[in-house]
Amino acid sequence: MPNPLHPYDLLKSIVQLSNASLPIPVKLDQMLQSILEAFQPDRCLLLEPEKIIRNGFFYRLVLEKKPLWVEEESSFRKENAFPEEQDLLCPAFACIPLGDGTCFRGILYLGFSKPYRFSPQEMDVLLLVGEVMERAIRNDDLHRKAEETISELTALYEMGKAATSALNLAGLFELIVSTGLRILKAKGGVLRIEDRRAEELKVKFSAGDYPQNPLDEKMARRVFDTRTPLSFDHSGQEKSSFSAVCAPLLSKGRALGTLAFYDMDSNSTKFDDKDLQRLLMMANQLSFAIENALIQDETSEMVQRHEKRVKELSTLWELNRALLTTVNFERILHLTLTAITIGEGLKFNRAMLFLVNEKDRILEGTMAVGPDNAEEAGKAWASLSRRNGTLSDLITQLDPESHSNLNSVVKGIKIPLEQEQCILSRTVLEGRPFNTQLPQSKEGWLQTRCERGCHLGSEVGCYVGEHLGRDPRIYSFATVPLMGKGKVIGVVLVDNLYNQNPITEEDIRFLSMFASQAGLAIENASLYRNLEEVHQELKEAQTFLVHLEKMVALGEMSTTIAHEIKNPLTSIGGFARRLDRTLPEESQEKKYSQTIIKEVSRLEKVLKDLLSYTRDESSIFKELDLRDVLEESLSMVIEGIRSGRVQLIKEYGEEIPLMEGDSHQLKQTFFNLINNACQAMKERGTLFLRVHPFSKNGSLYVRVEVEDTGKGIDPENLHNIFNPFYSTKESSLGLGLPIVHKIIASHRGRIEVDNHPGTGVKFIITFPSSEKGKGNRIDSP
Amino acid sequence: MKKILIVDDEESIRFLYKEELEEEGYVVECAKNGEEAIEKLSVFKPDLISLDIKMPVMDGIEALKRIREKERQLPIILCSAYGEYKQDLTTWASDAYVVKCADLTAFKFTIRRLLGLS
Repeated sequence: MPNPLHPYDLLKSIVQLSNASLPIPVKLDQMLQSILEAFQPDRCLLLEPEKIIRNGFFYRLVLEKKPLWVEEESSFRKENAFPEEQDLLCPAFACIPLGDGTCFRGILYLGFSKPYRFSPQEMDVLLLVGEVMERAIRNDDLHRKAEETISELTALYEMGKAATSALNLAGLFELIVSTGLRILKAKGGVLRIEDRRAEELKVKFSAGDYPQNPLDEKMARRVFDTRTPLSFDHSGQEKSSFSAVCAPLLSKGRALGTLAFYDMDSNSTKFDDKDLQRLLMMANQLSFAIENALIQDETSEMVQRHEKRVKELSTLWELNRALLTTVNFERILHLTLTAITIGEGLKFNRAMLFLVNEKDRILEGTMAVGPDNAEEAGKAWASLSRRNGTLSDLITQLDPESHSNLNSVVKGIKIPLEQEQCILSRTVLEGRPFNTQLPQSKEGWLQTRCERGCHLGSEVGCYVGEHLGRDPRIYSFATVPLMGKGKVIGVVLVDNLYNQNPITEEDIRFLSMFASQAGLAIENASLYRNLEEVHQELKEAQTFLVHLEKMVALGEMSTTIAHEIKNPLTSIGGFARRLDRTLPEESQEKKYSQTIIKEVSRLEKVLKDLLSYTRDESSIFKELDLRDVLEESLSMVIEGIRSGRVQLIKEYGEEIPLMEGDSHQLKQTFFNLINNACQAMKERGTLFLRVHPFSKNGSLYVRVEVEDTGKGIDPENLHNIFNPFYSTKESSLGLGLPIVHKIIASHRGRIEVDNHPGTGVKFIITFPSSEKGKGNRIDSP
Repeated sequence: MKKILIVDDEESIRFLYKEELEEEGYVVECAKNGEEAIEKLSVFKPDLISLDIKMPVMDGIEALKRIREKERQLPIILCSAYGEYKQDLTTWASDAYVVKCADLTAFKFTIRRLLGLS
């Protein structure tokens, strides 16, 4: 056995060890080694606080806070110790509790198998050694704690720094959870943020293991609602037991969400108050950053939304500008469909337009724009992308491709509005869009139903299937109603047949916005078209009125002149006849008087025609059968027919509805037409007289045709034939056809000329019947 | 012998009618206007009157009204260059309406019919 260490050397060694930079267990071990060398006890050890049994011998020693010196067995009663403690106790021993008044760090124990007398110097040395050891342990403890705190603070600082610089939400959330995991030494972490619209907490980021069960969600909800942190221990079955800490993320008194950490490891210790404090500190420090990031996120989302809206609005504005370039109905329709299909516009592959026909209660395919096949689509898109200019310029420059196959297919489609299983009719009846592409929508399968009866299915759907080898059932499309002023005026059908892009709700919303604009433009164009028609009718009526006025003026003038002439003419003719009777036959004078009589008769005929054209003779209207009138007119026409020079062919329908008319005037009308026809066929010819009924827009009409095989009318004269005093015949005043025209007009009839110069002319006269329908027909005798 | 009063402002017409009707065997007296006709009525006592319509002083329609007040049964022919008077209600008071024409066949036929000679 070596020489025992001198007490001074022991103290020197202990102090040196205490200041050495060694890990505490090594330090303590070497210190015990030095004590062993100095005192050479049988046992020398440091009892750690964990090893001390509650209420045992050593426990009492700790409470007393005093060293104990036992020099021989007789002075100590072993029964005071627990059996497991008794093994440790030697016959002589020294126990020196390490610790100041507040903190206990263990007991230095030296045991001897023989009685041992501790000199006062040895006691002092051991007490000093105890103090140094205690200080070494305390320092180490403090050092460890300080390091821990520094590391925590560094982590928090880093987190705070990152939080204020990182505005990216996902990155921030990840940072928070991963730092929290490190600081709290947790196995899992979850960050939840409230979705304000849905009013529910949503997991924004999670790491590690965490119990994904309703209990956990309930805990988060409670923490969020009460804005109070919660520490939670669940010790159920081995596997499901977990402990958790959860803190609300509060900013300006409002809860944003929750931050929770879990320790799923059943062996580990549970979270303590200190952990909860740390979590709270973290939550408080980060809430502001989270709120900022959330606001930033919302703002950027809003900016994106607004940018999109602005783009949409500017597109709409451009499209509307294009719509304003014309009031032509066809052009407006084409512009609308082009705007829907163009890449810079609404980007659909094809667009088809159906307009409501209110009268017949049907939807009529009106126009379609879109390529007939994928190859054509590619070419069209490529050529469009090369063009420059604004959207509205681009649209207005495109020419209608009315020859497209699709256009002609769509134009043939007619769907009864009452066909309720058809999506097109439903779009009109319900006034809402349909998108058959949405997988969850019920309409998705309606396509197959359309195949059985709906025109859309059998025309468009089957057309697609046939031409592209696709199953029409997977053909998807969307429809939107075209809104006029307060009512649906039609439907626009769109699809993305060629690029198969899905039709989104957003697309439908934008299309609906455009459709409401286009609907108004189409309605306006349609009204304008009607207006133009009415305007044309008014113009015609005005021309007719001007013509009539001219005739009235002419009539007044010619009536006066005619009467002035008529009296002298009567006496000239009368005396010529008297003279004539006195003259011998075959004399030269007889020839003279005959000439006077003849010429006066002619003049009288001219005057009669003139007066009958201009005089405002009230007509006597009654129901008549035009066949009877024609027969009477024929009986007045003379020679031509009677001599057989002109062959007469009559084609009268069996049932001719009656009409209201002045038989005298109508007789004169047809007499003039038949007479003209006979005169036009100087050599030989055929006269056709036809009478047939027909109905138009629910009204009954009678149509009469007077056709000859003469030389026809010189095209140069055609536009003058109904003008008075325009005659190509030497012996005529030119009032025949004007009288015809006037009488027909006064009977609300129409006269048309089908002229074939060189081969003949056909006059077609139509009169409205006085009969309402066939049921009320009164058979003529 | 039947007596006929011709009322017309045109001298040539009066002359023609007188010549033609006398040849037919009637006694013919003439008047220039309605007023003269009414004056001659009581003196001449005609069996038939031919009245022109448009005349100065008193026209045929006025004369017809006055004569009808006195002589309800006397046959009166309105003889005018105007065809449209046919539609005038006042002409209905006459027994016949003849449009003036160089060929007097229709006029003479009407006179004979009204006098019950044919």
